[in-house]
Amino acid sequence: MIRNKIYIIILGASLWACSSHLVLHHVPSIVPISKENSADTVLQSFIKPYSDSLAKSMNQVIAYSEIDFIIERPCSNLMNWSADALLTHETRNVRLSQPVFCLLNTGGLRSGLNKGAITVGDLFKLMPFDNQVAWVQLPVSVLPQIAYYLDQSGGEPIANASLENGKLKINGLNDTHEFVWLITSDYLANGGDKMQFFKLAQTIQIKSSTLRSIFIEEAQRQGDLISNSEKRIKR
Amino acid sequence: MKRRKFILNTTLSIIAMSFSPLLKAASSSKKGKKITILHTNDTHSNIDPFPANHPKFPGMGGVAKRAALIEKIRKEEENVVLLDSGDIFQGTPYFNTFKGELEMKLMSYMAYDAATMGNHDFDIGLDGFLNAKQYAEFPFVCSNYDFDKTILTGKIQKNCIIKRGGIRIGIFGIGIALEGLISKDNCANVIYLDPIKTANEQADELKKAGCDLIICLSHLGYVYQDDQISDKVLAEKTKNIHLILGGHTHTFLPEPTIINNSENQPVMINQTGWGGINLGRIDIDLENRLFGSKLIEVK
Repeated sequence: MIRNKIYIIILGASLWACSSHLVLHHVPSIVPISKENSADTVLQSFIKPYSDSLAKSMNQVIAYSEIDFIIERPCSNLMNWSADALLTHETRNVRLSQPVFCLLNTGGLRSGLNKGAITVGDLFKLMPFDNQVAWVQLPVSVLPQIAYYLDQSGGEPIANASLENGKLKINGLNDTHEFVWLITSDYLANGGDKMQFFKLAQTIQIKSSTLRSIFIEEAQRQGDLISNSEKRIKR
Repeated sequence: MKRRKFILNTTLSIIAMSFSPLLKAASSSKKGKKITILHTNDTHSNIDPFPANHPKFPGMGGVAKRAALIEKIRKEEENVVLLDSGDIFQGTPYFNTFKGELEMKLMSYMAYDAATMGNHDFDIGLDGFLNAKQYAEFPFVCSNYDFDKTILTGKIQKNCIIKRGGIRIGIFGIGIALEGLISKDNCANVIYLDPIKTANEQADELKKAGCDLIICLSHLGYVYQDDQISDKVLAEKTKNIHLILGGHTHTFLPEPTIINNSENQPVMINQTGWGGINLGRIDIDLENRLFGSKLIEVK
C-alpha cells in the first residue's frame, strides 16, 4: 500500500563506527496488510487442505451475540463473561461452606468475540491454551496481595468479587471465614503471570476439564451471549 | 539467495517455480547498495486474514497476502532480509491442531532468513517445538536461553550471519524471562541468561566477525512501567547493536523509536503489532552519505 506521506529518518554516519556510511530509513516502517492486498495463490492452495480439515468442527455455530465482546482493562464484557462462565459452570451444582470467586488473566484471553454468529473456532481463538480448571483454597490473609496484583496489573477478569480503592471484596465473605475458594486456571495456580500469591495456597485441585471446553459449553447453554459490562475493578 | 525447499506436492512445486525470477535477482551483484529488512512479530498462528466482522482489523492480515507483499518487495528491491521476532505459535485452531507444522512450512515458503523464540513458542514444550522445527528451513537464534541440558541443544543458534548487497549482517536473538510466564514443564532445564550482558557479548562477537550491521531479534517487549528489561532498556544499556526488531507487547509503533545506546550512538527499535496485520520494513541505504539526524516528510 502506498501512503501519502513517506517519512524518512536519517541517522548520522556515526551509526556505524567503522568506515561504512549507512543510512537507516523507513518507507514506511509499517506496511499494513489490508483486505485489498492480493494473495499468493500458491500459498492459498497449500493452506486450503489444512483449513478445510478444520472447517467442519471449527465453523460450527454454537451461539450468537448482538454486540462485540471485547477485552479491555480494567474490565470489559468479555472479561466478565469469561469469569462468569467459569464460576457458573463450576458452582452450578456445588454447595460450599466457604465463599468462592473466580480470577483469570487478561493476557490469557487472546481474542474478542465479534457480533453475529459465534463458532467453536471463535472460542478456540478466545482461549487457545489447553489450560485446565483449578480450585484453589486460599487463606483470607492472602486477599490483600491479590488486590495489589489486580491494582498493579490494571485489571484481570474476576467474578463474584470486586476491587475498589485497592480493596478486594468477595461476595459472601465475613469475619468468620478463614479461607476462600478461588477458581482459576492451572497455569495461574502454578504461578503463571507472576501470580506469586498462589504459593500460599492451602490446597490446589486441578480438574481435567479445560477452560475452553467450559466456555464452549456455557456459550451453547446461553445461546444468545449475555453481556455484562459491570465495572468490577475500579482504579 | 537460493530458493528454499518447500514441502508441497509435485503439482504445487511446479507452480512455485514460477517465482524464480525474483530469487535470481536477489542472488546477483550488489548494484543497488540498499538493504531492505522486512520483519514480523507475534503472528500467533494467524494463517487466515482476520474475519470481515472483526471490529478493529476487518479482513486484515493473512499469510497468503503477506507472502504476495513480500514477493512484490523482493521484485522491487535487490537485497531483502526477512526476519521474525517470535511468538509464531498459539492463537488459532491451526496451532491447536497441527502443532506449528503449518506455520513453519509457510515461513519456509516465504524464505524467512531467521527467527527468534517467543514465550508462546514454548507452549507445546521443547519436544513440540522441536517437532515443528523440522519443517523450518531457516535458523532460530536465541542467545540468552541456554538449551545445553535440553533436547534443543545444538538445534538453536545463538546468532547467524548473512550477506546481502556486499555487507555482513549479524543477527542474534534475545528472549524474555521464563519464570512466571512459561509453565515449568514446558521449559525444563532451560537456563535464562542476563539479556543485557548476553546482548553485549553477542554484538561484540558479531562485530569482531566483521559484521557491518547488527540486528537483535528481541522478544523482551517494547517498554514497561516497572523495571523489567524491555527493548528500550536494552537499547540504552548495550552497544554495537544497530537495530532491535521487537515483539511480545504487541506494540503498534507508527514509526521506529530511536534510542541512544551506552556509547551515545543511535539504535533503532521497531515492532509491528501482532497477528500478521502489518509487515515491518526498514531500508538501509549504503550509497548516500548523509549526515545529521532529521525527519524528512516526502509527500
